[in-house]
Amino acid sequence: MGSSLRIVNGRVYDPANGVDGEVRDVCIRDGKIAADAPPDAKRIDAAGMVVMPGGVDIHCHIAGPKVNLARKVQPEDHRYDVHPRTRVTRSGTGGSVPSTFATGYRYAGLGYTTAMEAAVTPLGARHALEELHDTPVIDKGFYVLVGNNVLLYRLLQEGRLEEFRNALAWWIKVTKAYAPKLVNPGGDELWKGQRNANITSLDDKIGPFELTPRKVIAGFIEAATALGLPHPVHIHCNNLGHTGNVATTLETMRLAEGRRTHFAHVQFNSYGPAAGKSQTNPTSGAREIAEFVNTHPNISADVGAVMFGRSTIMTGDAPLAYMLRQFGGTKWVNADTENESGCGIVPFTYQDRVYTNAMQWAVGLELFLLSQDPWRMVFSTDHPNGGSFVTYPRLIRLLMDREFRKARMAEVNQKALDRSGLRDLSREYSLNEIAIVTRAGPARLLGLTRKGQLGVGADADVTIYEEDPDKEKMFSAPRYVIKDGELIIEDHEFRVDHEGRLLHVAPDFDPGIEQVIEPFFEDFYTIRFANYAVDDRYAPHHEIIPTAPQAAGARP
Amino acid sequence: MSENLKFVPHATCTFCGCVCDDMDLTVDMDEKRITKAENACVLGKAWFREHGIEQRPYALIGGREATTAEGVEEAAQILARARFPLIYGLSDTTCEAQRVAVAIADMIGGTVDTTTSVCHGPSGIAFETVGESTASLGEIKNRADMVVFWGGNPAEAHPRLFSRYAVTPKGMYIPNGRKDRTVVLVDVRRTMSTPVADIFLRVKPRSDFEVLWALRALVKGRRVDPSIERRTGVSLAVLEDLVARMKSCRYGAFLFGMGLTMTRGRHFNSGALLALTTDLNEFTHWVAKPVRGHGNVTGADNVVSWQTGFPFGVNFSRGYPRFNPGEFTTVDLLARGETDAILILASDPAANFPKAAIEHLKRIPVISLDPKTTLTSQLARVAFTTATYGINVGGTVYRMDDVAITLRPAFESPYPSDEEILSAIRDRVRALLGGNRVPAVAPAVAAAS
Amino acid sequence: MSLAFTLRTPPTVPLEAEVLTPARLAGLSAPEAAKLSVVHGNERADLGEFFQVQGTADGGGAGEFRLTGDLSRVKHVGAGMADGRIVIHGSVGMHLGAEMTGGEIIVEGDAADWVGPEMTGGRIVIKGNAGHMVGAASRGSAVGVRGGEIVVFGNTGNEAGHGMRRGLVAIGGDAGDFAGVSMLAGTIVVLGSLGWRAGAGMRRGSIVTMHPVELLPTFSYACTYAPLYLRLLLARLRRLGLPVADAQVSGRYQRWSGDAVELNKGEVLILEA
Repeated sequence: MGSSLRIVNGRVYDPANGVDGEVRDVCIRDGKIAADAPPDAKRIDAAGMVVMPGGVDIHCHIAGPKVNLARKVQPEDHRYDVHPRTRVTRSGTGGSVPSTFATGYRYAGLGYTTAMEAAVTPLGARHALEELHDTPVIDKGFYVLVGNNVLLYRLLQEGRLEEFRNALAWWIKVTKAYAPKLVNPGGDELWKGQRNANITSLDDKIGPFELTPRKVIAGFIEAATALGLPHPVHIHCNNLGHTGNVATTLETMRLAEGRRTHFAHVQFNSYGPAAGKSQTNPTSGAREIAEFVNTHPNISADVGAVMFGRSTIMTGDAPLAYMLRQFGGTKWVNADTENESGCGIVPFTYQDRVYTNAMQWAVGLELFLLSQDPWRMVFSTDHPNGGSFVTYPRLIRLLMDREFRKARMAEVNQKALDRSGLRDLSREYSLNEIAIVTRAGPARLLGLTRKGQLGVGADADVTIYEEDPDKEKMFSAPRYVIKDGELIIEDHEFRVDHEGRLLHVAPDFDPGIEQVIEPFFEDFYTIRFANYAVDDRYAPHHEIIPTAPQAAGARP
Repeated sequence: MSENLKFVPHATCTFCGCVCDDMDLTVDMDEKRITKAENACVLGKAWFREHGIEQRPYALIGGREATTAEGVEEAAQILARARFPLIYGLSDTTCEAQRVAVAIADMIGGTVDTTTSVCHGPSGIAFETVGESTASLGEIKNRADMVVFWGGNPAEAHPRLFSRYAVTPKGMYIPNGRKDRTVVLVDVRRTMSTPVADIFLRVKPRSDFEVLWALRALVKGRRVDPSIERRTGVSLAVLEDLVARMKSCRYGAFLFGMGLTMTRGRHFNSGALLALTTDLNEFTHWVAKPVRGHGNVTGADNVVSWQTGFPFGVNFSRGYPRFNPGEFTTVDLLARGETDAILILASDPAANFPKAAIEHLKRIPVISLDPKTTLTSQLARVAFTTATYGINVGGTVYRMDDVAITLRPAFESPYPSDEEILSAIRDRVRALLGGNRVPAVAPAVAAAS
Repeated sequence: MSLAFTLRTPPTVPLEAEVLTPARLAGLSAPEAAKLSVVHGNERADLGEFFQVQGTADGGGAGEFRLTGDLSRVKHVGAGMADGRIVIHGSVGMHLGAEMTGGEIIVEGDAADWVGPEMTGGRIVIKGNAGHMVGAASRGSAVGVRGGEIVVFGNTGNEAGHGMRRGLVAIGGDAGDFAGVSMLAGTIVVLGSLGWRAGAGMRRGSIVTMHPVELLPTFSYACTYAPLYLRLLLARLRRLGLPVADAQVSGRYQRWSGDAVELNKGEVLILEA
């Protein structure tokens, strides 16, 4: 931490501070970006290179119970993508669900220094934290699944809104989560309790509850807003993956009513009604979704782009995984978590000749190219659902290089392409826009003020790429990666190992809420209330990001 | 009994895979003994009662008393020198210790394998073939109106599986507990568990696969040859009745044991049951769960999986993890005489492995970590005495349903934990090797299997 | 003469020698071949530390070479080979000819587990017995042999032809349990007896046996006939040296369809006594 660095001669992209490709020095002291560095600081000559903040992944699946099931179920996907150890780094395996060490090193190897695991059951939090502890280099956090929580449903149903808000805060805090996550609200109760049924509209009754997804989603948006969380409710909408779901998505977005709300991997929720004679082949709904997001500054989204090739569907949306089982081959995993969630896993391959897959690919690109505010429509593949994070460089090239995109378009299912709007879009992303959608934007949406930027005081997470007309090549292997001021990768090679921090929030709540929660545990959980909260040993290196009230209270 | 008593509420029993976390312990702090374990089953009570502090040397090297540090030096020298070292056991210790054990195997280019390879390893292979619909135990308690126990005797091996999780407890949608559930037991003989069942299917030994296969066919509406009765002891009519019940229940759960996984057919037996579970989900909700034996064998599966991508039987000699049961599993490696050193963590293979494997154990340097004297520790070149997890040592264990629980130790032991000894060995090996051992041969794609 | 390797120092722990393919040895002299890298346990070693190497590799493309000695701890011999020929005088270790695409391997002895897993072409002939997983899919994978031939004169262990999609596995002796499990297509011929549960979960493909066998209850009898293709196939196996009797070539076979749990488009052919 004590070392100093001065990066000179590089073209700097730091959109949060209005720096768009200027050649200037970046100085680092004690793990932070500094105004200056001592004369004896190590110098990195970045001539011919691009300097950016470290990448920030706002939505991926990299740790926890479901990820580990997905790892375990695919030995055949690991064996051709091994990750050998070096003198200083651990070994691992890759494939679409890499081992923890491979995950950390490979993220770092792409210039990413922060990643958010997007779906962990509260009961699985301890497990997720153990895995994140074994995920090197990057800073990390996770979103906790609360959108099918039985006790929260009961409080909401009974109109006990203050207790609902306190219980939500309790759940976020005791699991050391970063944000609340809703997945297919209401779906799990139907899946587990009503013979594998599912929610089909926002106004369906949720099993035995006097609730609908509409009420649940509105309730969570309201409570999270009141808590002043750095990242708002993170929603995986109902009807994900279904033809014609764009209507549900727009209805859900309207529920935000001006309040900050994040919509996860919207590509999967941007399908228009069936086209032509087909009952199932979707059209593109990207334009409607992009227009809504463009005109509603309270809404943010990550794209969840689809990249062709091997992927793994892993989701809290168990009915979806079951539906996809028929396309996925021989394996299917389902995992129910008491009172909290469902989960489904299916190994899957996106094929460019398949209509639906080509449409998904096109919709993802359309969303990017139609977005007018890169700060609110940010980069993701919903790793590994839409494709592995190792495909990010190719996705960047698809956005930056029109000719490359055209060549790829010629190879995919043409009927799907005809029914998308992709042929009409000639936009190319600039390096500055890439820096926004992969770094500055996600950091801002997460409320991580010291990430995604290179201003004085920011975390010294810096990536230096050698400029190359082939953007896929350029973004595949940074020359240098600096994490917390430490030179982790130099000349493309790992020099040291590094342990990142857990990023989490600890919203305040009325301690009286525990008297409401504890009896529920006695009756319906199989773990004692006293053993449920995750203690600090599971976050040996951590940073608590304050909520708005906490930040305001801390000010003199 | 002294007056110096300590009360430890909410402690966790690590005797079996149920990992019950509702143990309220009373500890005699003068005698270093647990005098009372409220809520414990008969097995748990014995576990807590028997784990006092024994007077044993900290370490034995070649039978001679030694300090822990001397033991660490000797163990590190053995592991650093070995060409095909194996680290085995792991299922009766904390995840924290397991993580270090895998790290050592990675660093030296050895093999790591757990007791899973001799219990539910077949279920692991089956999982990799067909997947699994599964649930945390609380869902079974709250929702399961039909429970099928297959190839196990929970009454004697996992008593609280009945009383706390799957048969008698009341749950959210099971308001009357036992009365609201149909309980089926499938086994080759009557056991202490049989009386709990509404329906008992006695199948002929080694015919589980045929029964499961017939059930799969019937669930799918396909024809089954009536010879099934002669071959399995179960008539077609009984199977048809069972299938009708399975399809019409609201939430069904299979809990299966080693009577299924370790009899002829092995991973195909587990696979047939998991595939049947998947088939049933066309009609209603069904889950399946292997019933695990060791207190933290599920933690071992999880740790090895997240660190390597594979659950057990993982070899690092080429510089990266490779998985192949039969090739890199302990009984097979020992029986073929292929390993030249072994660290055994909290397990006693010398007591229960096949003869050929034990013979090889006697030929190679063995390092053992165990709270007690075992047959394995007695033939070890280096034998460490360790504190007992869950009783003297805190940390994390995973219940058989993958739920992680933090231990609350009852009293301190004078002996170091597994994690402490392994960490010292790892640090010393790293110093001896100058970092991770990196083989100077490129990965070979075809050799990756 | 071709290259000839004689095992001089038996490895004390497994030796991984995927360099032993005709393509890797092409054009090498004996001293050059002796310098090739193998992995002995967890360290790199020279091939020459274990083998005495004589001769010179055949000129031009991939040629033939010979291995002599007890190679039961030597793994991955011929893995990934595409052409040429390997002759092994002695027993050989696991993963022989793994994922090979062409060429031929002859073993005048026994082979350990995993002979020709996921191979796509070429031929492996084992004159002795072979272990488990002959021509099988790797763990977690659904597809085993995709093409080529494996001929075992002796017995095999379990899961021969697991998940095979094309090609031929011929076994002169007995097969263990689960022969042809989850087969997608292709042919397995067993001149001896089948173990338990042959063809479990098979979708398509043929399993042929010369001895009576009780199949899973999800197989059903279809007819008895004398399939022409089998006559041709058996004649060919006889030319390869397998002890095929005239009665087998000209015999009539019961055709059983299965597995009803899957597509029911596979068949097991059982020679009528």
